[in-house]
Amino acid sequence: MEQQILTLVTFFPVIGVALLLLVPRERADTIKAVSLIVSFVTFLFSLLMYVMFDPVANGMQFEINIPWIAAFGIHYHLGIDGISLLLIMLTTILSVIAILSSWTAIKTGVKGYYISMLLLETGMLGVFVSLDLFLFYVFWEAMLVPMYFLIGVWGGPRRIYAAIKFVLFTMFGSLLMLVALLYLFFLYHGYAGEYSFDLLKIYEMPIPLGAQTYMFLAFALAFAIKVPVWPFHTWLPDAHVEAPTAGSVILAGVLLKMGTYGFLRVCLPVFPEATIQFVPLISILALIGIVYGALVAMVQRDVKSLVAFSSVSHLGFVMLGMMALNVQGMEGSVIQMINHGISTGALFLIVGMIYERRHTRLIADFGGLAKSMPVFSTFFMIVALSSIGLPLTNGFVGEFLILLGTFKANSTYAIIAASGVILAACYMLWMLQRVIFGKLTKPENEKLVDLNIRERLVLIPLIVLIFWIGIYPKPFFIRMEPAVKAILSMVHKVDRADVERKEGIHVAQPTCVGTTCTISGGGAGCGK
Amino acid sequence: MDIRSAAIDLGLISPEIIILASAMVVLLLGTVLKSRGLMAFLSLLGLVVGLVLVLQQWSQPQSGYYGMVLKDNFSVFFSVVFIMTAIITLLMARDYLIAKHIDRHEFYTLLMFSTVGMMLMAGSTDLVVIFLGLEIMSVPLYVMAGMNKIDPKSNESGIKYFMIGAFASSFLVFGIALLYGASGTTDLRRIMADFSFLKMQSELLLYSGALLVMTGFAFKVAAVPFHMWVPDVYEGAPTPVTGFFSVGPKAAGFAALLRICVYGFSGMAELTAVFWLLAVLTMVVGNVLAIFQNNIKRMLAYSSIAHAGYILVALTAGGEGAVSSAVYYLLAYMFFNLGGFTIVTIIDSRTGSNSQIDEIKGLAGRHPYLASLLALFMFALAGFPPTAGFMGKFYIFSEAVRNGFVWLTVIAVMNSLVSVFYYLRVVVAAFFGKPDQEFSPVSFSPALFIALLVTAVGTLALGCFPGYWLELSQMSMFPII
Amino acid sequence: MASYAAVLIFLLLGIGLVLVTFFTARLIRPSNPYKEKNQTYECGERPFGDSWVQFNNRFYIFALLFVIFDVEVVFLFPWAVAFNQLGLFALIEMVIFIVILVFGLVYAWKKGVLKWV
Repeated sequence: MEQQILTLVTFFPVIGVALLLLVPRERADTIKAVSLIVSFVTFLFSLLMYVMFDPVANGMQFEINIPWIAAFGIHYHLGIDGISLLLIMLTTILSVIAILSSWTAIKTGVKGYYISMLLLETGMLGVFVSLDLFLFYVFWEAMLVPMYFLIGVWGGPRRIYAAIKFVLFTMFGSLLMLVALLYLFFLYHGYAGEYSFDLLKIYEMPIPLGAQTYMFLAFALAFAIKVPVWPFHTWLPDAHVEAPTAGSVILAGVLLKMGTYGFLRVCLPVFPEATIQFVPLISILALIGIVYGALVAMVQRDVKSLVAFSSVSHLGFVMLGMMALNVQGMEGSVIQMINHGISTGALFLIVGMIYERRHTRLIADFGGLAKSMPVFSTFFMIVALSSIGLPLTNGFVGEFLILLGTFKANSTYAIIAASGVILAACYMLWMLQRVIFGKLTKPENEKLVDLNIRERLVLIPLIVLIFWIGIYPKPFFIRMEPAVKAILSMVHKVDRADVERKEGIHVAQPTCVGTTCTISGGGAGCGK
Repeated sequence: MDIRSAAIDLGLISPEIIILASAMVVLLLGTVLKSRGLMAFLSLLGLVVGLVLVLQQWSQPQSGYYGMVLKDNFSVFFSVVFIMTAIITLLMARDYLIAKHIDRHEFYTLLMFSTVGMMLMAGSTDLVVIFLGLEIMSVPLYVMAGMNKIDPKSNESGIKYFMIGAFASSFLVFGIALLYGASGTTDLRRIMADFSFLKMQSELLLYSGALLVMTGFAFKVAAVPFHMWVPDVYEGAPTPVTGFFSVGPKAAGFAALLRICVYGFSGMAELTAVFWLLAVLTMVVGNVLAIFQNNIKRMLAYSSIAHAGYILVALTAGGEGAVSSAVYYLLAYMFFNLGGFTIVTIIDSRTGSNSQIDEIKGLAGRHPYLASLLALFMFALAGFPPTAGFMGKFYIFSEAVRNGFVWLTVIAVMNSLVSVFYYLRVVVAAFFGKPDQEFSPVSFSPALFIALLVTAVGTLALGCFPGYWLELSQMSMFPII
Repeated sequence: MASYAAVLIFLLLGIGLVLVTFFTARLIRPSNPYKEKNQTYECGERPFGDSWVQFNNRFYIFALLFVIFDVEVVFLFPWAVAFNQLGLFALIEMVIFIVILVFGLVYAWKKGVLKWV
């Protein structure tokens, strides 16, 4: 079981696909039920995995390593650490929610839709569990196909354009990554005398700085497009606006995290010197993303594109925290990935719910919804506040840690980034004010029906998570801490003294533990 | 001298004999009997028996006829590819031929003659035999291209192919003559063995001969700038024949090119630069021009040019690994390209079809499984994992990087990015497009079903579990010094 | 390169000889053109009609058949000359060869190629 659990979690949705193929396409209800059950069982498996996971152990857990393609030394090598564990949990939860949320929204091609959803889930999980770079790449690419269909078939009016743009942008980066991957592969062969794509083995290899720089750029480009780091973000608003609600949820919730996860898993540990070299560049791009995303979000007239641009801003925070290269920043960055998945996922769900009722997403078409849909408005309010980062909610924990870590690394960055938090409050609250508060001016809005049981069921788990992480994030931090430290020690192994001198970072371990505990304790204190 | 024991070994060429014999039987029986189904079945039988006999020859390299016929794993592997191509073409062609009222038994005969020619091309190190094989392969193809006699485009296709084919052959013969002038032999093994001596003695003759031979084959594999004929010929020929064109002669051309350039001229390092240029031109022109095509057959024609470019990348890289990567790619390419053509054939069999991409609109609504398979093949052509297309490209690119051609690889991956765009157009039409009128349903037969099954399983098997196939392709090597 | 010089000299000599012969012939022959002499030579017959006439394309098929058997003869002749040395095996080979040709002929016959319509 120890060994098989990852395979089980990753490929269980494929079993669901096989089941769905047997169901005739006229029986839409059976199809929905099967896919819901399958995704829920996957979630249960991942929950089992969460329980079995040893929170304090170092290194990878549930490792399985069997040869796959002998000619290239490619292994079916899976394994997770705390970071991947959290992202897997996020994926399985959001998949269940996404499937439940599309119950009534998807009316045509139901079978194809759910098949794509389940395949997408396998693709995403595969990225998070792979420890073999080839396997990682295969999942990374394979996942594009179902997403392409989700946007292209069930999306909005400009769906074809958005779908193709999404695929081409992502492919552009990942194909260059493929070349770098091959280069790395032969470099490793030169170093160790054997062929291997095994990430854990490649971690051990010292790479000359020149080669590191090129390969870092190729990998980072692929990941940066996915994140998306400004200026590679232009595909994101299109894809989000055109995708069906569930597609947006998955896209924002999980797909973007694959980019940041790629940075953490590949770029930082494999190319440590290049990473340190590119810290200023990426940090500045992240800062531009934070401010630019927020400013553009502010002037959006469509709620969905507002949320899409807020993603650009939030992911900027994630990148910034990661580039602080200290424990606080990186833990904040990881928790912010989860937070963004939950909050933005919930925001997209809420936008989808109102769109299903009114068939419009323009802010101007709403106003005073609090009167006609009180439950909806409450949920909306909570989620929006968590997205801003109000204390007590998850957003606060992440952004606070990121700012703290960044401040230690470079105070100027932190100050600029803090302005992003204020801007976030501006656009979110202003939008809230125009949508749910004020007078009910439009007659169409008076007749709106409040959320039904299914819709509440979709949102409640996310609300619970928002408060859980906001009040008591310790279980998450405990699990990610060994992983974060492992990555940091790999980044700093090269030139620890130099980095400390330059950036004024203390990488000494006890301090980190103390800080983390203080932070999580602080969060708990707020709760009282 | 005892001729029999020294050189004549009928067992060595038994697959060729079987296929030729069944071709002739079909040719004669077809004039007497009216049942075309029986003819198709007999041809299929002949090809399958040939396939079995070829597989018997795996892993026991033999040579005969004074070294003119060579049955090493390389030639066996390619023979399997050729025969499989012929079988799949036969399976997909039947319904199309009936629908277009050109169901003639000569089609099956010509298909088999051509296959034998290809097998000869792959199974020799002697330039004369390779040329002989090329002609045996090409002449039936000219006729097949013009099979649809009442269609002017088919006629145009036949004539164009014939003219260009003759033109290419003359280059080739001239090149072979020059090589003979330089070395006094047409046997590649002897040219290779004496290469450094020959180079000193008559460098000019040797190099111009090599370049002319390469030019001849560049026409056959449709490398830019010798590709002009491809779109018209592919568009005009009956669709299954186009499918056959895009795989069979191309694979045969590459088999010969690999033998001649990587094996025979392994001492000619300058060829690398030529191949580099050919590869880049072929990929760029093929991919860029494919974007603008509205006719799916023309689009696939340019796509086949682009794929020739990827294989040329392997030839540029050179070395044993590169050869087996090209071999692997051709096997993979056979599966997904023929799969794609099978579906295009099915759609084309409807009356009034003009092979426009727009005609696919609404396919997903009417035939979801067929549309999914079409998507599978298009994604394989574009090189998405986990399909054969990805593994093939991965193998070729890895060999290119291994040999230090990093920038060539970057150009190649950017080209496959471009290719994604036009392959997705087909998927977009099939899945997202709203048809102008109701999509008229297509008819299905067991033969088509088998063809689709074989190609789809092959596409996925080579992509998901490539280990075994990679080993096969690595065993399919000729020794390189 | 020395061996190529011989080829070059041979070539020049060949061309030169022809040119010289034509030129001298022109110099020494009497020139007396008249109407009958300027007519197209058609085996003594008086030419009629236009020389641009349409041929029946049946001729092409016959020409093709002729070429096949022409080539066959080219192949058969050396075999026949060396028949005694080659023996039984070559006889069988030749029979196979001719049988293949017969297959083609039968096909052509069945297709009605040999009938003049």
